[in-house]
Formats: sequence, C-alpha cells, structure tokens
Amino acid sequence: MGRSARYAGQMADRTDTAFTWTDGWTPVSPKLIAARRLALGLTYLLVVAGVVLLFVIPDVPRLVGWITLGVALVALGWLWWLIGRRVRSFGYAERDDDLLVTSGIMFRRLVIVPYGRMQLVDVKAGPIDRWLGVTTVQLHTAAATTDASIPGLEPDVAADLRDRLARRGEQRSAGL
Amino acid sequence: MTTPEPSRPASNVGDDLGLGLRLPGQGTLDERGRRRVHPVSPVVHGASSIPIGIILVIAFSTGAVSQLGAGGLLVSAGLVLLLAVVVTAWNYLVWRNTWYWFDADGDFRVDSGVITKRQRRLQLSRLQTVDVAQPLFARVFSMAELSVEVAGGNDSRAKLRYLPLDEARALRNEVLARAAGVRHDVGEAPEAPIVTVTPKDLAISLLLRSATAGLLLMTAAIVVFTVLSSGWGGLGVALITGGLPILLVITEFMKYFNFTVSESPDGLRLRFGLAKTEARTVPPGRVQAVEFVEPLLWRRQGWVRLRLNIAGVGGSDSNGNKEETVLIPVATREVADALVQRVFPGLDTSALAWQAAPDRSRRRSPIQWRRLAVAWDDSVFAARRGRITRRVAVIPHVRTQSVRVTQGPWERALDLASVHVDSTPGPVRISGFHLDAGRAREVADAQAVRARLGRAADRSIRWAAGEVAKEPSTHREPETS
Repeated sequence: MGRSARYAGQMADRTDTAFTWTDGWTPVSPKLIAARRLALGLTYLLVVAGVVLLFVIPDVPRLVGWITLGVALVALGWLWWLIGRRVRSFGYAERDDDLLVTSGIMFRRLVIVPYGRMQLVDVKAGPIDRWLGVTTVQLHTAAATTDASIPGLEPDVAADLRDRLARRGEQRSAGL
Repeated sequence: MTTPEPSRPASNVGDDLGLGLRLPGQGTLDERGRRRVHPVSPVVHGASSIPIGIILVIAFSTGAVSQLGAGGLLVSAGLVLLLAVVVTAWNYLVWRNTWYWFDADGDFRVDSGVITKRQRRLQLSRLQTVDVAQPLFARVFSMAELSVEVAGGNDSRAKLRYLPLDEARALRNEVLARAAGVRHDVGEAPEAPIVTVTPKDLAISLLLRSATAGLLLMTAAIVVFTVLSSGWGGLGVALITGGLPILLVITEFMKYFNFTVSESPDGLRLRFGLAKTEARTVPPGRVQAVEFVEPLLWRRQGWVRLRLNIAGVGGSDSNGNKEETVLIPVATREVADALVQRVFPGLDTSALAWQAAPDRSRRRSPIQWRRLAVAWDDSVFAARRGRITRRVAVIPHVRTQSVRVTQGPWERALDLASVHVDSTPGPVRISGFHLDAGRAREVADAQAVRARLGRAADRSIRWAAGEVAKEPSTHREPETS
C-alpha cells in the first residue's frame, strides 16, 4: 500500500531519537511564550509581596530578605528560559489518518491519535490567552490516558483545525 | 424459568417479604407505563444506615451522659430517632419519585429526584453492561439493585434500588434482550458454567500475592525484631503491616467468593461475592484489553489472574472507588487461556514473537529489564513487564485508542523510550517500557497503521457499511493550512 511505504520512508528519516520532527510538522505560535511568561509574572507578584514583607517585618534580618530575593530572581530567570524552550517543544502534524502531537523537554512525549478514535475536540482559552490571542485545542478519545492537547494556536488556526479534525473524525468514526 | 439457581433457595425469591403481601405501588404502572422500584426500598435504604445510627447513639451518649447524666442517653436516643424519621421520610420521597420504563423508542428511561428532577435516557444500542448486585442489607430483604451502563462519559449508568431479586433478573434479561434486538419476553438466557474458583484456591492465591506475602513476611520480621530488642512496645507497627494485608485479603476473599464464569448467549456471565453477590454480564465485543498477572509465589501452581478493561466499566465506580474488573481472580494457565479465547478468539500469547528491550535498559530498570518486551501479530499488540509479578497486557489492534511514545530524562541519557497503547479506562495498561528510542517510534508508527487497518477490517464496530472499502483513498479534504 502506498501509504505504508510513505510511513516507512518517514521512519527511515528518523535515525537516532523517537521525537525528531519531519516534514509536515507545525510549531505552535510564539505568542504562547508571551502568554505563559505573563502568567508567570502575575504569579510572581505574590512572591514579590512575600519578599517585601520580609524587608518590612522588623525582626527578620536583612540577609534573609536578600537571600530570598536572590533565590526568587534566579528561579524566575530559569522559569522564564524554560517557558521558551517548553513552548518551542510543542508541535503537531496532521497525517492522512492520524494527528501527531509532541511536547516536553525533560519528559518528552509523542501522541498518535487516529481521527477515527476522536470522541470530542475541545477549544479553550483562558483570559490571558484570549487577550494575547492564543487558544488550546484538546483531543479526547475513549482513553483517559490519551492526553493530546495543542496549546498556543492562533484562534482562527485553532478553529480551522477543530473543524478539520471534526470532519475527519466523522468520516472515519469507529465505535469503541 | 429455564435456569435453576442452585445458589439460592427457591423460598428466597418471589413475593416481597414472603408474607404473601402485594404492597401498593408494586408492579403497578401509571398512565405512561412507568414502573416504580419496590416499596420496601426506603426501608432497605434506612436499614443500611442502622450501623451509622448505632455509632451516632454511642458518640452522642458518651458526650451527653457525662453532662446530663442518665437523661443524656434519652436525649441522644431521641435525637437519633428524629434523624431516622427524617431519613426515612426522605427515602420515601425518593421512592415516590423514582420511575423506570422502556419508552416508545426502545430506550430505557429512569426519572428520579425529589428536589432536583433528573431524567435519564439510556440508549440501549450503546449498552455496555447490566449488573444485578445484592448488597448485604438488600439481601436481608431478598432485594437486589440493578445497574444499567451505556457507553459514554463518567456518569452513564442508572441504578435501580431496589427490586425483588427475580424481578431484577427479569429486568436485566429484558434490557439485554432489547439491546440485542431480540424479543424481550423470552426468559433468562440459559447459562452453562465454565469454571468456578474454589474458596481454598482463592484464599491461598490471595495470601500468596506478592504485596501481601511481602507485608506478612515483613510483619513476622518486625514482631521477632521488636520482641527481641525492645519488648512488646513496637508491636503497633506490626498491627499496621500485618493487619492491612489481612484486611485486604479478607475483603477480596469476600468479594470474589465463589467466583463463577458461565457462558450465556448474552456473553460471559460472572457471579461472585459473599456479603454482596454480584452478577456481571460481559457482552461480547465489549472487552477492550486483557492482562495476565502472575505473582512470584503463584508460579509453582501455575496460576494467573486475568484483568480486563471493559468500555464504560472500571476506572472508578459510582462511589469513586477504583474498580478492578477481573475476568477470573485465579486460574491455571490452561483455564485462563481458554477463557481469553472466548474474549479474544484466536489469541495465543505463547506464539507471539517478543521484541525485548535492549541490554542497556538494565541501567534504567535493573530488576525487570529482562522481561520488558513488546510483541504483535495480525490482530493484537502485547506488552510484557514485571520480574517479580509478571504481567502480559494484550490489546487488539481494533481497540487501540491512541499510541504514545514517552521519554524521561534517564531514558533519554540511555537513548531509550517507552511505547504506550492507550485503552479505555480500566486496570490494564499496555506499556512497552524502555525500548530503543528509534525503535520505539517505529513500533508506535507501525501500531497506528495496524490499528487503522484493524478498524477498517473490523465489522463489530459501526463503520458505515459499504463505505469501508472506498474510505481510505477517497477522503482528501481541501487543506486550508
């Protein structure tokens, strides 16, 4: 079968690791980096409040405050950098019969979801995401472990993807 | 009735309380053909909270007696009585407002709710299982609860509490028959018992399970050690390490007591339980995956346990408890193989060509690495793992929901990756751990293809008939991206 040969060809391209991208992969929008960094920043307001408190409370030695501040700043820098890498690790590919989603740096994963197995497709966006124009598309199958979500899509790309997936799902729909 | 029920004396089933009474409401249909559950249900519900009532009386009175003297006992008993009246009244209202019937479309309908009304419509074409269960208190009244489960999300089951046992069985048969599309006034489908687990085998097998045996061994060690070193003080720990496994063994022994697998036209019928007897029918084609579990100490007897993923069952039950769906709690290899044959015809795990994880996986999983392997043939994918408790999980290609490849940092350093074939929620996980990374991806990609071919060839699932042949080549929608 022609398609099997094509899969075989893709496999041959992949020499060393299991997660290499080949042609047809789409990265997610870099706006997701901004959205996640903004969310991180908002969380850090709490940390800032904590550090300020350390400096205001009279009994706490100054040194404790400075050390906390230093640790918080280093952690912030690391998380800031990590967000960039994590977002760039997200990618998806629409093949003829299934959708591939990959992500992760430390713990990497790749999910292959056949269109015929999709039960529903969620499109969601939180307040920050909406403001910055990024959307998450999540696929559900009858298995709870499937976990195929693609964050950081432009809203119109997400809507198109959802419609395409729904259409293909319907065409190839299978029972349990 | 064509089926004799050897386990239950005839006097137990039949009319209501055995008093020859026909209570009002029982069996009566309202103008829409709706039926109520048995009128004794509120009492059964109430009876099951008697232990709680007793605990409450004790709890109240210890407090009240110290403050009010003997009068306190009266006060607390009064309070509990009041509570009981309220609960009973509530249960009565629940009963008044619960109706079930088959509607014109052939769907099973359940209306319930006192304050918030709830109407459920269970599409019988999507039926997964029908269970008749007898919780302890219901059993006293020879009542049973019936739960009907259809494919769907988390809360896709309806429970009827309570029906007389024979009525529950009749209703189960009616539901199964309607779902199968046959005439529904036929009696209970005849059952041919295949295998029964003897209490002795069950007890021994439970004691010999790896975790239980380990904990009991540890307990013995702790007892000896503490008594030798510091007297009897350390025995509290032994109570936990020893008591817990014994409790687990007893619970499971009661649960799976007299486990019988029978063949019936509706599928395999499983009956088990001591305090609460359950009858579970597994319709053919609903089994999603199966796992052979073989603890270390079972190997001398050649025993295995079979666990199943059944669509819509397992994951967690209505109480949110993890529910283990077992095809048989313990059986010899031959019996287990024969049972699996009925679920997945043509499956022969011994004929599979295992592809083992590479030697370097030893550095990731020093104990089980030799056992780690995956295999597949034309119809199933299988994954093997576990050194102490050996596990072989099998999923037909047709039932593959999705395929995943994962890689943790340690695996990455060794250029390993794991392949997971996702099944519906249940106890069985199909994971081929720590394969060569490039190989893992190949296995996953190939499995996706096999799953697709399996779906295309399969007739038990509803591919629109006739479109199957042309489907793979014709659908090429205009791509927008």
